[in-house]
Amino acid sequence: MSTEPGTVEPITGKYVHVDVDGTDYRIYFEENGPDDGIPLLCQHTAGCNNQEWRHLLADDDITDEFRVIAYDLPFHGKSVPPTSDDWWEEDYELDAEQFAATIVGIADALDLQDPIYMGSSMGGNITLELADWYPDRFRALIGLECGAYSPGFHIDWLDHPHVNTTEVNAYSCWGLMAKQSPEQTRRETMYLYEQGATGVFKGDLYYYSVDHDYRDKLDQIDASECPLYAVNGEYDYLTDPADGRAVADGIGEGAIAVEMSDIGHFPMSEHPALFNGYLSEILADITGDREGDLPETLRPDDVDVELSPSS
Amino acid sequence: MTETELGSQAWWEHYKETVNSDPEMKVRGHDKFDENFYIEIGDDRFLLQIDRGEIDAIVPNPAMNHQWSFGVEGDTEAWEEFVQEIPPAFNHEIIASHYRSAVKGDDGHLQLTGNNKAIFQNLRAFQRMLDLLRKAHNNGGNL
Repeated sequence: MSTEPGTVEPITGKYVHVDVDGTDYRIYFEENGPDDGIPLLCQHTAGCNNQEWRHLLADDDITDEFRVIAYDLPFHGKSVPPTSDDWWEEDYELDAEQFAATIVGIADALDLQDPIYMGSSMGGNITLELADWYPDRFRALIGLECGAYSPGFHIDWLDHPHVNTTEVNAYSCWGLMAKQSPEQTRRETMYLYEQGATGVFKGDLYYYSVDHDYRDKLDQIDASECPLYAVNGEYDYLTDPADGRAVADGIGEGAIAVEMSDIGHFPMSEHPALFNGYLSEILADITGDREGDLPETLRPDDVDVELSPSS
Repeated sequence: MTETELGSQAWWEHYKETVNSDPEMKVRGHDKFDENFYIEIGDDRFLLQIDRGEIDAIVPNPAMNHQWSFGVEGDTEAWEEFVQEIPPAFNHEIIASHYRSAVKGDDGHLQLTGNNKAIFQNLRAFQRMLDLLRKAHNNGGNL
């Protein structure tokens, strides 16, 4: 997309009201693509917001065919807390039921027909609950950085009055990205992380590292009708490609693991050109436009992206 | 600098110059970073004495006359991986390395020791200093 002065990007932003268990949530979302395109519903990572998807929303190759929709969860980005709750009297803490119900509520409120759901990190893990609890609601589920269990990141220092949590919430994630991803986009990813409200990152991590545990429940998932893709980056130290393969093996039919070479835990924002290339291969598999099976590992050469030093 | 000089006096001197001339250490409050920490490469421990975001001194084999808040320990191979221009996964950043050891139980990664509160209070500046090991080792290369 051109960056010449005067260029107006075709991405639009709107609000939709979503009912989740009787509470009204005013949800902000951005979208681009044809009205009759296949909906591709995009979930941000813990403590962040939909700006992580700005490069996908602006990718003509994908938005020609897909209606890309990226939303902010309640308490994130421009989706303010619900006006009906005294939310300031308790710590924000996300659990699996609330998270999954909110995603389905957004799909329902936007009246999306057979959407593809895609999310990274906590948005990747929740594909397991969505596949288990709402298998009829989606055409396919893409779990980026998906694991059955991802312990150890519900850290008290991420919400502590003696710590600069704005900075720490971001830079505790610095090492989740590959050093070969461009420095500009890695820095932008951290900048987005610095915009989260107090306690929200840690509250999301309650779901991510405490509440979510599918190690003994993968066989509950039937992915034969709604395929599940566990797509994990080589440099993701939390949920590495072996974790993605364990998810696919545990589910069986309909579950596919793909390793993404030379990228980390925030693929869509840390290296958009490489990720969008990888994603195109997966989307083509979902739509049936790809000849042959996906490889076990996607590499930069496969999608004609040349890695370059980022200093 | 070459990899064979990892941990030598000349290697540390070049690193000190790199840190003390780094513009990022001057912004967003990082010039407030005042916690001493050590780096242990194999059996060799080096204390980095920090004064307002700059390295005041690098002391080999610190003893009871010295004080520090935290440290990073690892074998020589782990540090050699860490300072590569494109390091292999999981030895490419300290929180990544520590997580792989502490939570995943993997061997061969760098580990944090000491006061966790002080680490998180100074995480960005401390992390930047560790990234600058890579920059100094590669004469300005990738972070």
